[in-house]
Amino acid sequence: MSTANSAADERGPAVAFPSLEWFRRLADLMNRNRALHEHLGYIDCVAGFTITDGGAGGRPFSVQVTFEEFEAVNVREARPEDASRADFTLEAAMSTWREMIENIARGGGRPDLTHTLNYLSHMGEPIAVRSDDTMRRDMYFRYNQSLQEFVNASAQIATAFREN
Amino acid sequence: MAQATDPGKVLDRPNGNGGEENGLARYEISFGQADTRWAEMLARNAERLLKGSYSFHWLKTDPPNFGRRAKPSSRGLTYTDINNVRPYGEVPEHVDWKSFAPRGALRDPYRAEMPIIEDYTVLDSCEVWADNVITLYEEAKARQWNATRDIPWEELKPLPDDLEKATCQLCTFLTEVEFVAGDFPAKWMYRIPQDFLEVKSFLSTQIMDEARHQEVFRKRAIAGGGLMHSAPGFEWALKAILDAPTHTMGTFLLNLLGEGLVLSIFRSGEMIAKTHVDKEIFRRCMQDEARHVSYGVMQFKYYLDNNHDREGALEQLHRFADIGERVILTAFTEPALVEPVAILLGGGLDKIDNGMEGMAHLWRMFIDEYLQRCARAGFERRERCKLPLDFPWRQG
Repeated sequence: MSTANSAADERGPAVAFPSLEWFRRLADLMNRNRALHEHLGYIDCVAGFTITDGGAGGRPFSVQVTFEEFEAVNVREARPEDASRADFTLEAAMSTWREMIENIARGGGRPDLTHTLNYLSHMGEPIAVRSDDTMRRDMYFRYNQSLQEFVNASAQIATAFREN
Repeated sequence: MAQATDPGKVLDRPNGNGGEENGLARYEISFGQADTRWAEMLARNAERLLKGSYSFHWLKTDPPNFGRRAKPSSRGLTYTDINNVRPYGEVPEHVDWKSFAPRGALRDPYRAEMPIIEDYTVLDSCEVWADNVITLYEEAKARQWNATRDIPWEELKPLPDDLEKATCQLCTFLTEVEFVAGDFPAKWMYRIPQDFLEVKSFLSTQIMDEARHQEVFRKRAIAGGGLMHSAPGFEWALKAILDAPTHTMGTFLLNLLGEGLVLSIFRSGEMIAKTHVDKEIFRRCMQDEARHVSYGVMQFKYYLDNNHDREGALEQLHRFADIGERVILTAFTEPALVEPVAILLGGGLDKIDNGMEGMAHLWRMFIDEYLQRCARAGFERRERCKLPLDFPWRQG
């Protein structure tokens, strides 16, 4: 495991990425920062995050986050058969997630121009947006600013990246 | 007493030449001579007041809708919450109340005395309703933003000349096109009767959204250098939207196709933005646009699902789309749009060819998404689509 953004510091002990705990920390940060998310508006969707090689033995690791109103109300690990429960899933390799998270941390909670969620996903790679329904996929665009702020909060977490 | 006089036959329609005088004269005839039921009501009310007596008819609550209290949910008191109270949530398939009388109010006893608003012509729910319209209305209110304060304008820095001009030209295009998405719902809103209040409410948010988009792109262009070129190809596409013969057809062209393509431009705009200011602008606009697309798809679906002659409706819509797609394509092949986007995609004027390759890739995605949205609405367009599946670049 390697700690990327000068990990165990005032942000507390490093949390492994990917892990359920890491996404739960993001959810906690969102819920504690309610004023920001109230300003951005409702977000009602289930967003999936898949690290294609982030699981044991280089297998995929997936988390689904349920957003309601201004909060992340549920975070759970998802199995392949849970895929349709998510309105959309952002899927990328560990290297992409790591680069994005490190970039956000370097920017103090704001990615540079080439590491926003939309930048990384718009061409279909390196982040792919998966969904079985175009209406549910469009939620990714309807709530994009809230989702960006959700991941931007990762700058407040000391992240330790798993190495397979 | 109502008179047979038709003011429209007495005077010509106002045409700007003496129009004010003609309009006033028509108004005087209409309310002063032709239909004076209001004067009878005024006399009746005045007589009662002069006698010092009360009516108290409004205290009667039969049928007993009164007293069933709506309860707020965790979000506050939404349309969904009040629509859970019968009969307030009963949206008619066909409206026969062409007045301002609120749906669910005690209005039947007054029908004979009420004026008829002839401008209300969209009387079937299938022409306007969408199953997600209440959700989208609440979401639209919650996700409003302010183009003056929510964009970090103070961070805007000059770009290299070619990129700044490309950005300003893209913003000029967007300034030009955004208001049609306000004018179109505005054109139809006063044709939609009050019983479809949820739809009217949502359309009013779309008008606000589009005003803000026009505002933010105008501001961005002028803060970065200035507005640049308008284009006739844009204008014809906008006219085709505004002149759509029905609300559903126009909604298809505006929200499903047009806004779908503009949503793609916003997503591309966020990706190719050269400043955080531009990123923020495009990301915010993207969210608004996705709501409009969502309404468009589900309104189109509702229309088809509830049409008594689905096959006939489908054929009409195909005929409409045959024209609409080609006219919209006029805008999306204009050099004043394609070239600045390609320059921003490529990273400079000297890399425009690379940008055009990127455009070709994006175009395939755009068209595929459009066809997916059509299919989602029950409108299988893939075989008849007049838009080229591949961007028409260096194919000759």
